[in-house]
Amino acid sequence: MNCLIFGYGYMGKIRYQALAKHPGVKKIWVVDPHLETPPPELSGVLLPAGTPVPWEQVDTVFVCTPNDVTAQLCIEGIRRCGRVFCEKPPGRNWEEFSQIAQAAEAAPGHTLVFGFNHRLHPSIQAAKALLQENRLGEVLYVKGTYGKSGGLRYRESWRTKAEIAGGGILLDQGLHMLDLFHLFLGPLKVEDAILTDAFWNCGVEDNAFVLLKSQKGIPAFLHSSATLWRHTFHLEIGCRDGYLIASGLLSKTGSYGREQLVIGKRQFEDEAMALGNPREEIIHFDRDESWEREVQEFLSAVQEKRRPTHGLLEEARSVMQVIRDVYALRGPSVARREL
Amino acid sequence: MRTVQTETRFPLSSVKPLEALTRYRAHCLSETQKALGAGSSRRSASPITGAPLQPFGKVGSFEYLICPDTGSLFMAELPPSETWAKLLRQIHQHRHSPGVFHSELAVSRADRVYQPKVEWIQETLALQGIHRPALLEAGMPPSDLERLLTRSGTFSRVECVDEMALAHEGLSRQSSFEGDFQVAVLLESLDRSDDPVRLLEKTQRCLSRGGLLFATALVASGFDLQVLGVENRYLYPPDRTNCLTIQGLQRLLERFKFDLLEVSTPGVLDVEIVQAHLAQEPSLPLSRFERSLILSDEPTRQAFQSFLQGKGLSSYARVVARKP
Repeated sequence: MNCLIFGYGYMGKIRYQALAKHPGVKKIWVVDPHLETPPPELSGVLLPAGTPVPWEQVDTVFVCTPNDVTAQLCIEGIRRCGRVFCEKPPGRNWEEFSQIAQAAEAAPGHTLVFGFNHRLHPSIQAAKALLQENRLGEVLYVKGTYGKSGGLRYRESWRTKAEIAGGGILLDQGLHMLDLFHLFLGPLKVEDAILTDAFWNCGVEDNAFVLLKSQKGIPAFLHSSATLWRHTFHLEIGCRDGYLIASGLLSKTGSYGREQLVIGKRQFEDEAMALGNPREEIIHFDRDESWEREVQEFLSAVQEKRRPTHGLLEEARSVMQVIRDVYALRGPSVARREL
Repeated sequence: MRTVQTETRFPLSSVKPLEALTRYRAHCLSETQKALGAGSSRRSASPITGAPLQPFGKVGSFEYLICPDTGSLFMAELPPSETWAKLLRQIHQHRHSPGVFHSELAVSRADRVYQPKVEWIQETLALQGIHRPALLEAGMPPSDLERLLTRSGTFSRVECVDEMALAHEGLSRQSSFEGDFQVAVLLESLDRSDDPVRLLEKTQRCLSRGGLLFATALVASGFDLQVLGVENRYLYPPDRTNCLTIQGLQRLLERFKFDLLEVSTPGVLDVEIVQAHLAQEPSLPLSRFERSLILSDEPTRQAFQSFLQGKGLSSYARVVARKP
C-alpha cells in the first residue's frame, strides 16, 4: 500500500512512524512545503517543492496539516484517492465540515476516518468495557476536564490564530473530550456555555465551559482550557452503583501524568466504615497503542473494503454540531470568526 | 500491561491474625517435619532460572535457599511428591477444622480475601471482552473460592482440581483438560507446590489459546518479607515452600511465553504485619528508620502502604497473563 502524508509537523511525524512500521505499507510520500530542513528519515520520501503528487499511485492519504488547509486537502484526497485519514478537527468550522461530508457522500465506496485517537487510550477502552458489562449501573453524569498550559510560544502558534485554527481550545483539545462524551452518552445537545479569553488574549477562547445533555437527559460538563498550568486530562463518569475516573494520558512527554482508571463502588454507611470514602481500585496503564491501532484499523478497513470501527463521519458530525452550537451561542463575545 | 492499586482497607486481625497464625504455623511445621521424615531430596538449582541456589536462612528447622537471579526463596529439602500431596491435603483439612483461624474467620475471609478475587476476575474478563468462560482452579478441593465463583454466575463451568494431581500425572486419575478452559486460577498454589514450574506448565496446557491465567502469591520482594526475612512468621512450609519475588513470578510466566496483562501488588497488610511482629518481639533487628516508620501515625502508615502498592513493593502479588 502506498501512502501520502500531507504535513510533517507533530502529527505528521507520528503518522509517518506508525506507517513506517506497518508491514502492509510499501511506499510513503510526504508533502510539506514549509519544511525548511528535511530530516534524514525523509530522504527519498519528501516530495520536492513543485513536484506533482503521483495521485495514480496513491492508495491512502493522511492529512496532518494546520486547520486552514485541512478541509481542502481532505476533499481533494476523497475525490482523487477515496481513502483518507484526516487529523482533527474535521475542518475549521461547520461549513468546512459540511463540505468534507458532501465530498464523501459524492464518493461511493470511500473510506474516511478522522483522528479521534483518545477513544483508543487504554483507560477509555477499559471504562467502556466496564460500562458495557453494566458493572456500575446506569450512567448518571459525565464530567471532563482537558487542558494544557500553552507555553511560552503559545501566542505565536497557529492554533491561536482564528483565521488558521478556526477556534480556540474547544476546537483544539475540547473536541477530543466531546468525542469521548459521545462515546459514552451518544448524541448531545448544548444547554449552555461560557467561553473566555482572559489570559492569552488571542481572540479565540482559552477556556470553554460547556453544559450538555444527552438524548436520555444525562448531563455532561466539559471544561476545556489553555490555562491549566498543570496539564490535565480527567474524565469522570458517575453511575448508580459507582464511578469511573480516567485520568492522565500516556503521551510522548508524559506531562499529563500516569494514565489510570479509578473504579469506585458506591458504599453507604451499611457497607463502609466512613461515608463518602468508598472502596476504589486504580488501574495504571503503561502502554499506549492508540496511534498504531488507529492507523492499523484505517488500513485494514481499506484493505478489507469495510466500514471502519471508529473515527467515522457521523462521529465527527456529532462533535462539530456541538462546537457549532457553542460558538453560535457564545462566540462573538470571545472571538471574531466566521461561522 | 497494567498495575492495580486498591483503597480497600481491612485489619490483619480480620483475615490472618498473627497470634492465631502462630498456632496454625506450629502445626504446619510439625507436620512438614513428619513428612520429611519419610526421606527427602535437596533442591540445588533455582526452579526459575536454573542458577545454583544459595543459602538464605532457616525457618524453624527448615533451610531456605535463595535464587541469586531473582531473589526468590525455596525450601531446600522436599519429600517425594506423593508425601507432599498427602501433607497438603492434610493441612487443607486442618484449615477447615474448629479452632483454626481459617474456619473461625470464614465469613470475614470470604468477604475480604475471596470475594475481591472474584471481582478482580470478573472485572478483568469484562476488560478483555471474555464472556461466560469455563474456569479451572488448580488448588485444594473443596475450595472456598470455587463456591463464590460458581455463585457469581459469571462462568459457564467452574472446576477445582487438586493442584498436586494436576502437576504430577499419575498421583490420581486426573482427567485431561487440554485446552478446555478459558480461565485458570492459581491462588497461592505456586507458593506451596513442590514443583511450581510443572504446575504452571500443566495449568497452561489446560488453557485454550488466548486463555487467561490469574495467579496470586506472597512475594519475597514485598516489604514485610524484605524487612523481616526468615523472622517473618508468615513464611513457613508447606504453605510458603516457595516464596517468589515479583521478578521471579514474571520470569516464570515469561518462560512459558505468557503475555503479562497485569502485574500488581495490591496488598494492604505489609506495614501492619511488621507492626504486629514488633509488638510481639520488640527486639527485632529493625533499622531506626524502619522502626520509626512502623510506629508512625495512621495516615503515614497508610500512605506508605499505598506507596508499596503503587511501586510493586507489597508482599501480596497478583498477576494476569494470557496464553499466546
